Amino acid sequence: MSSGTITLTSSDEVDITVDRAVAERSVLIKNMLEDLGDSGEAIPIPNVNEAVLKKVIAWCEQHKNDPASANDDDDNRRKTTDIDEWDQKFMQVDQEMLFEIILAANYLDIKALLDVGCKTVANMIKGKSPEEIRKTFNIQNDFTPEEEDQIRRENEWAEDR
Amino acid sequence: MSPRENNSSAASTRRRPSLSFRPRPRTAAPAPVSKDFGWDTWQEPSLVKVCQDGEAPVLEEMEPFPDAVPRRRGAKSFSSLRHPVDGIVALGRRLSVSLRNKSSKQNLAVVENVHDDQDGHEQCEDRHYAHVTGCTGHKHHIASGSWDPRVAPNNWPRGYSINRRPSLNSVSALHGFYAPIASIPAPIPGRGQEPPILPNNRFGGAAARAAAAAQNEQMEVARMAKAERESNKILEIRIPQDSESGIGIDLRDRSEVSDVDLPGIRRLDPIGFLPAEISAHILSYLDPDSLMTCEAVSRSWLQACSSPVWKRVFRGAYGRRPTSDTTSKMKQSSGLGKSIPNQDWKKMYLTRRALDQRWKDGKAAAIYLQGHQDSVYCSQFDEKKIITGSRDRTIRVWDAHYPWACQKIIGPPSQRVYGRGPVNSPTSQATGTSPFLTITPPFVHPDNIDEGSGPEEESVYHSASILCLRFDEEIMVTGSSDHTCIVWDIKNDYRPIHRLSGHHAGVLDVCFDDRYIVSCSKDATICVWDRKTGELLRQLVGHLGPVNAVQLRGDLIVSASGDGVAKMWNVVSGQCVKEFVSKDRGLACVEFSDDGRTILTGGNDRIIYQFDANTGDLVNELRGHSGLIRSLHLDSANKRIVSGSYDMSVKVFDRDTGNLSINFPGWTTSWMLSVQSDYRRIVATSQDARTVIMDFGYGLDGIDLLEE
Repeated sequence: MSSGTITLTSSDEVDITVDRAVAERSVLIKNMLEDLGDSGEAIPIPNVNEAVLKKVIAWCEQHKNDPASANDDDDNRRKTTDIDEWDQKFMQVDQEMLFEIILAANYLDIKALLDVGCKTVANMIKGKSPEEIRKTFNIQNDFTPEEEDQIRRENEWAEDR
Repeated sequence: MSPRENNSSAASTRRRPSLSFRPRPRTAAPAPVSKDFGWDTWQEPSLVKVCQDGEAPVLEEMEPFPDAVPRRRGAKSFSSLRHPVDGIVALGRRLSVSLRNKSSKQNLAVVENVHDDQDGHEQCEDRHYAHVTGCTGHKHHIASGSWDPRVAPNNWPRGYSINRRPSLNSVSALHGFYAPIASIPAPIPGRGQEPPILPNNRFGGAAARAAAAAQNEQMEVARMAKAERESNKILEIRIPQDSESGIGIDLRDRSEVSDVDLPGIRRLDPIGFLPAEISAHILSYLDPDSLMTCEAVSRSWLQACSSPVWKRVFRGAYGRRPTSDTTSKMKQSSGLGKSIPNQDWKKMYLTRRALDQRWKDGKAAAIYLQGHQDSVYCSQFDEKKIITGSRDRTIRVWDAHYPWACQKIIGPPSQRVYGRGPVNSPTSQATGTSPFLTITPPFVHPDNIDEGSGPEEESVYHSASILCLRFDEEIMVTGSSDHTCIVWDIKNDYRPIHRLSGHHAGVLDVCFDDRYIVSCSKDATICVWDRKTGELLRQLVGHLGPVNAVQLRGDLIVSASGDGVAKMWNVVSGQCVKEFVSKDRGLACVEFSDDGRTILTGGNDRIIYQFDANTGDLVNELRGHSGLIRSLHLDSANKRIVSGSYDMSVKVFDRDTGNLSINFPGWTTSWMLSVQSDYRRIVATSQDARTVIMDFGYGLDGIDLLEE
């Protein structure tokens, strides 16, 4: 069964050895091992660099004993605020790392990590004004004044309680 | 006039814009029941035979009232939190926010509102006292049988307090309260020093934003606090990475330990950086207000807030129909719209919000369905149809849409006629909220209507009053004073399938799921029937009085009896597993929540009791009615408890707080006999032979989009 360790090779050609059980949090790796068998050779992860991969593995390590996620469909996902404490700390990284983790989770098919990452970004957006969001993510406002006005009117209507 | 003047305020008048249309000569109001209708049937006592009803000792028995009311209200009303301490802390945090940013009017306004709330509640409590004393006095009128519409639904000034507390019920208030709770464990003092990253006070209605932003802030603070301690470790991890990733090498380490507000931090636009499907995933976690804000950030963000995202956000905000195995066929529309291509989910959200605002304001149109010739005891509706059952021995099917025509009359040919309902007496609606619009669809002559071609022989129909009915997508079950139930085939033009005979008195209520039909009777028993075969499986005996109401959830039956006890039974074993006792007198109705956790009962105590179904504990008492509570409906999705009473009012309570949120007194001229609600309307039936649709969505732009 899933015993022993396997080796992953990051995009920048660094080999990382990891418990197989931990690596199998990634559905991509799990399927790969199931399909190909464990040949003992390093598995290339061409889309993820070492730093990100280490971070992802750290997350998998922490969550290796989590019950397999109930296949909750899109509409039944938990509320945004439900990020457990460890994950919150884990996600206290700069924006680029955060987005890279999300991309890696997506690529490696680690749904729970993808969710945590996306929730973290959502929490950064939530409750801010458009200008605050622009500041947070360094976004240029490319609306014409007319367009802005129109959108604002829509929002104002919505806020009119 | 005096009770109203006591409570009169700017707020309460504001809630009655149509005041001027209704002349209110306060001279002795006629007793509408006896005067407006000549039918001697009115004299017949109610369907619900409640034990010890209407006896003289009532006055003394009312005494427990004043003790219980203020204490409960006081404790509960303070921000309606499960964890009051957290709530106070949260409140404190909000206060501190506003003090820090003195320039912010909005935040100060929030604080003021909080005080207002408290004031409002205190005043409420006062009124409880006032009401109670008034109530005991009025009891005389009711008990002695003189029906005075001025007395019964009067002097209940809840509209006032609700108006003063709009924020409590609003979506934003929920954020305001819940978000900070989630963040309590954070090091709060730290926030004081930090310059607010988000001046979240610039926009109106900032409560929600403030709360959510506070959470953002808190995360930043937590990051800062951690950063120092962990910086060494992080740096170790980071160093090799930076030299290899090739992006932002110079800035990364600093950003790791720095506040977001420091200049020069690498900031990335997630919408540009991440693939569209992940952006959509992120945005799907937002609440509708935040998503709307996102649309104003930039063009690419506007584009990212796509229809699929709106769909998920809309559904996330309003939930999905609970998928319970046993009740799956008894569908109640949740107003979530159809999943069809090109559905405008954002528009649906805006409509839905406008609709919810109307619920908050108590703004509804009244549409009267007339045709029955006598008391309408029961009803059920879905998006398409409303089915009513009456003392006139007929069951009628009405179109739930304009022009609300009666589409079918099920009953003996001799009874397939139309009666014209009474006209409201304006005085009976003098307090509380009146319809903003009243529609009485034209009386349709029987010749002009397709009555359906039911069998002509009388024997296939009920030979007495229709007391209860339930339907799903396949069958309808009705119960009658003729001691039987009839199962009808809804898909086959309401043909009778079989008759359930076994009770020895009128069948007062009925319910069913995929397996069983459960009926309860004045003979004090409950019968469990096989849904498919109609075979009597078992009889539940134990109640000491007529069993007025019954509900079935999973393997559990809950029944309410005129003996004042609600019992929980196991439908398989037939054993009574629990009892829920009223404080005083008989029970008329019961509701068992979809999740099986809550049981509500109502009856002659004029109190709605809320029990924890698991522990059997009485968790709340909802007060406000001044007459027997005849019918209850719990809308879990929208957190509303709707009640109909012999005080001629329909009231709506907030499920979580127990606060009265809507009061519709006197929308019909007699007792309210059944109520049911969905996302946009309440359908109530009355002893005055009419059914009234209290339509909160009437005329609302886009309301049709919400239909399922």
